[in-house]
Amino acid sequence: MIHKPREKRSLVDWRERLTRGGELLHEFYRGRHRGALARERRQEDDLFMLLVFSEMMGIENPSSYYTLELLPLLYEGFHEWHIRMGMDHSPLEHFRCC
Amino acid sequence: MNSLPLEGHSILFVGGKGGVGKSTTAASLAVHLADSGEQILLVSTDPAHSLGDLFGTSIGDRKREIIPGLHALEIDPGQEVERYLARVKKSMRHYVQPAMYSEIERQIELTRHSPGSEEAALMDRVTTLMEEGTTSHDRIIFDTAPTGHTLRLLALPEIMAAWTTGLLKSRDRSASLGKAVDRLRGREKASGDELAWFDDVKEKVTDERTQKIQEVLLERRRRFSRARRLLLDPETTAFILVLIPEKLPILESEKTLKVLKQHKVPVAGMVVNRTLPNNQALGEFLESRRSQEAEYLQQIEKAFPKLPRVQIPLLSRDVQGINALREVAQHLLIDR
Repeated sequence: MIHKPREKRSLVDWRERLTRGGELLHEFYRGRHRGALARERRQEDDLFMLLVFSEMMGIENPSSYYTLELLPLLYEGFHEWHIRMGMDHSPLEHFRCC
Repeated sequence: MNSLPLEGHSILFVGGKGGVGKSTTAASLAVHLADSGEQILLVSTDPAHSLGDLFGTSIGDRKREIIPGLHALEIDPGQEVERYLARVKKSMRHYVQPAMYSEIERQIELTRHSPGSEEAALMDRVTTLMEEGTTSHDRIIFDTAPTGHTLRLLALPEIMAAWTTGLLKSRDRSASLGKAVDRLRGREKASGDELAWFDDVKEKVTDERTQKIQEVLLERRRRFSRARRLLLDPETTAFILVLIPEKLPILESEKTLKVLKQHKVPVAGMVVNRTLPNNQALGEFLESRRSQEAEYLQQIEKAFPKLPRVQIPLLSRDVQGINALREVAQHLLIDR
């Protein structure tokens, strides 16, 4: 490894580092807000999934017939959903997605 | 108080306890109105259809002309379920990867046999007919299933409208949170993110789905709300309660009336069916029935003091065919 002489890492280098540090800090705060909002949105979507799929979970749902037409639209999110709900495999015997 | 006020009502429900003569009443009403020049659609919602037998012909799930001005159909919820499932399968092919077809199809098959499906399909059909039937015909007359079944059918639009509204609210919240997240990410993209392009494509797909979900739910709610509005409009809808002068039908009619009031369904009047003829000597046996009947008629008078009421006497033969229905209709005095 070739080391640059100490004197040459001076001002320009530090300025760069500070700018970079500022950006990271900025990103850190923005990321936290974004994370919180994204999490809340995911929770809302999870609730929606639960409302639509509740009949399959054994919770009586008066509208399961009517929401069947949502199934093709929601199916691809189904896998992520049951993993997030803490179930490694699909909770529904007859509804295998993994 | 001895005529049925049906001026301008375009949706009539004929209901009552099993075996009191709902179909006969509905059919003779339909024949009578068609004879007086109206375009009538007569619809049976009872899973055990009897309109066909009454007219001495086979009617099916599709509209059939019985006499000029009168069409009839008997809803087959099974067929309605099939049509719906076929529609869902078609939309599946648009949105789902082929590898997943079989799993979704399994789910669709299960719905075919799940207990609430036929009821839901029946309501779907009834609400559609309420909209279509009133544009293609002057009136639509529903010959309903025995009371409990029908009350549930009338209450369902309210429940379902509330349900879809809840689902839509959840979608709205999700969408506005999504927008907030996007705004924060938007600035990040500007600061140069090579992977942003992938996000864009993925988002477009998700947006299309989100919008479609929204559309499906909105259409559902629109249909339920409209059915409910029609159902509760006393200028449009009239419920006609049929009973016979006996203890159990009277008691059940009281309960029905209470529930109809609870759900604010407008009731136009009552048909008291199969009263013993007045002007004939009946012999000892039937005279004793007649004195009991007089008590029940009084009881009806007392229990439903404000309700318009007509009586159809017991006929010498059972009611079969158009002419017999016309004969019955002479007793149904209608203000139209």
